[in-house]
Amino acid sequence: MSVLGRILMVEDDAKDVELTLTALEEYNLANEVVVVHDGDEALDYLYQRGQFKMRTGENPAVMLLDLKLPKVDGLEVLQQIKSDEKLKMIPVVVLTSSHEEKDMVASYKLGVNAYVVKPVDFHEFVNAIKELGAFWAVINEPPPGSVKKN
Amino acid sequence: MMQWEPRLPRALPAIQQYGLAILSVAAALGVALVLRPSSLNSFADPLFLFAIAITAWYTGPGPTVFALVSSFLIVDYFFIEPLYTLRMTTEDIPHFAIFAVFASVVARFAAVRRRVEQDLLRSRGELENEVAERTQQASLLNLTHDSIFVRDMDFVITYWNRGAEELYGWTPEEAVGKRSNDLLQTAFPAPYEELRAELLRSGRWEGELRRTKSDGTEVVVASRWSLRRDEQERPAAILETNNDITERKRWEQEISKLNLELGKRTAELEVSNKELEAFAYSVSHDLRAPLRHMSGFTQLLQKHAASRLDDKSQRFVTVIQESAKRMGSLIDDLLGFSRIGRAETRKALVSLEQLVQEAIAEVRPETGQRKIVWNVGALPALYGDRSMLRLALVNLISNAVKFTRTRPQTEIDIGCSGGKEDQVVVFIRDNGVGFDMKYANKLFGVFQRLHSSEAFEGTGIGLATVQRIAHRHGGRVWAEGLVDQGATFYLSLAHRAEPNL
Repeated sequence: MSVLGRILMVEDDAKDVELTLTALEEYNLANEVVVVHDGDEALDYLYQRGQFKMRTGENPAVMLLDLKLPKVDGLEVLQQIKSDEKLKMIPVVVLTSSHEEKDMVASYKLGVNAYVVKPVDFHEFVNAIKELGAFWAVINEPPPGSVKKN
Repeated sequence: MMQWEPRLPRALPAIQQYGLAILSVAAALGVALVLRPSSLNSFADPLFLFAIAITAWYTGPGPTVFALVSSFLIVDYFFIEPLYTLRMTTEDIPHFAIFAVFASVVARFAAVRRRVEQDLLRSRGELENEVAERTQQASLLNLTHDSIFVRDMDFVITYWNRGAEELYGWTPEEAVGKRSNDLLQTAFPAPYEELRAELLRSGRWEGELRRTKSDGTEVVVASRWSLRRDEQERPAAILETNNDITERKRWEQEISKLNLELGKRTAELEVSNKELEAFAYSVSHDLRAPLRHMSGFTQLLQKHAASRLDDKSQRFVTVIQESAKRMGSLIDDLLGFSRIGRAETRKALVSLEQLVQEAIAEVRPETGQRKIVWNVGALPALYGDRSMLRLALVNLISNAVKFTRTRPQTEIDIGCSGGKEDQVVVFIRDNGVGFDMKYANKLFGVFQRLHSSEAFEGTGIGLATVQRIAHRHGGRVWAEGLVDQGATFYLSLAHRAEPNL
């Protein structure tokens, strides 16, 4: 993972990763994505440790976070990020299969920036991902210290 | 309570008292005059002393002094030389002094005797009063249903009322004189010394005792003790009032057993509710993901292989996609349905009229260019869970919109029809395709449908959800309809003034 990405995607399901990347490709955003597969890896990436020891210091412009993850789950990752002075400014979008109100309330309480339920229908899914990518990676001005392509 | 008057000789009126004094002195004078010729002059003094004594005995100090003075003058006039004059010689002075002393002593003695006698009579009267009062009280104690007995400080029973006889089975004759502990085999809730200490400190004790009746059965009594002290303030007796609470104790035990079971059942239910929640959670997560993949990859297939797929294959791919989508909405509806069963209702005052307007606004996008006449009547506000009630109304209204789709002009009436005082009944009437009343009982079951999904789409969960919401609001849902004549759905809800009933 030597390429610096502006989008950090935390997703354990390879098929979801593929569908999401396909959707982002249509907007030419796919090569700006770093994919990690569980909460532990996500934190390693953000804290530049383990396999991400060598990466340069900038934070991603946005983080797409699944909730149901192996090892460290999405809510724990979110809590870590939002309670860390250096990381709390990173915009975090929860991208999950679950309609559960409980999860939604917990995420907003922890300070999530957006909460998106993945639509079953592929058209809707592609649209949702495209809009998300466009908004957070292009339209939105990320906080200082983030990687953004000029 | 009646008062017994002490039987005292009634004091004579003043005039009669003086009359008696005059009479007795006059009688003494008469007898003395009759006896004088026989030169029995020495009878005069005792006769007058006797008259004074009688006067002192029966009258007060005034007449006595009157009798004394008049006797003195009469004796001087009639019986002391020189006769018939009040003059007296110096040699008569000792005589009169002795007479005066004697007369005073007699009068004093008579008066004291009389007072003592009066005191005696009075205290006898008081005693009689108290005896009568006590007797009456004792007979009143017999009237009460409470069991009452009195025991001395060594447990010996001194009084035993009819209530005690009824409760424990022994007659007063059998019980009085026995030690209550031995007779009743009392089991105290704490060492007796502690109970006694409290009784001596505060004068009373209350508690539950276990005792044995004359027929050998056990009773639990609520017992109240009051301490009676004698005039020297020494503990003298204990009055015990007992009530049989055996039955009550049995019920209490029964209730606490039931409560325990209820607690256990509640805990079990909570556990299974948690499991159900965990199940629903993983359904909502894990079942939707494969569907998304099916939909996504068939879509990608369609795109990549578009040129190589014939029309038939294209249609197959579309069917797979539609099925995946339908499965997705089924899962979503089922989860919503299960959530209504699990979620706590959050009751607040909600305006049904406003909810109906919101529901109409929500289904309006489905109506497109159709011509729909809405007749919405007045609806009350009530305590309920806003989001649940809104969902119920959206389901019913969207049903009405759906099943009138084939009509050139749709009419939907919404209003409040009469119900009982504590119930609100909302009706939603449409002029749609209606239904056959013989299937009315199938309307509200999960996945039960009266129309094919080709004719009218839907998951078959909407009305089941409405029914669940109605039940959670102390009401129900039912429908009336005729094939091709429209349908009316009724939703009844408990109408309460208080939020948490």
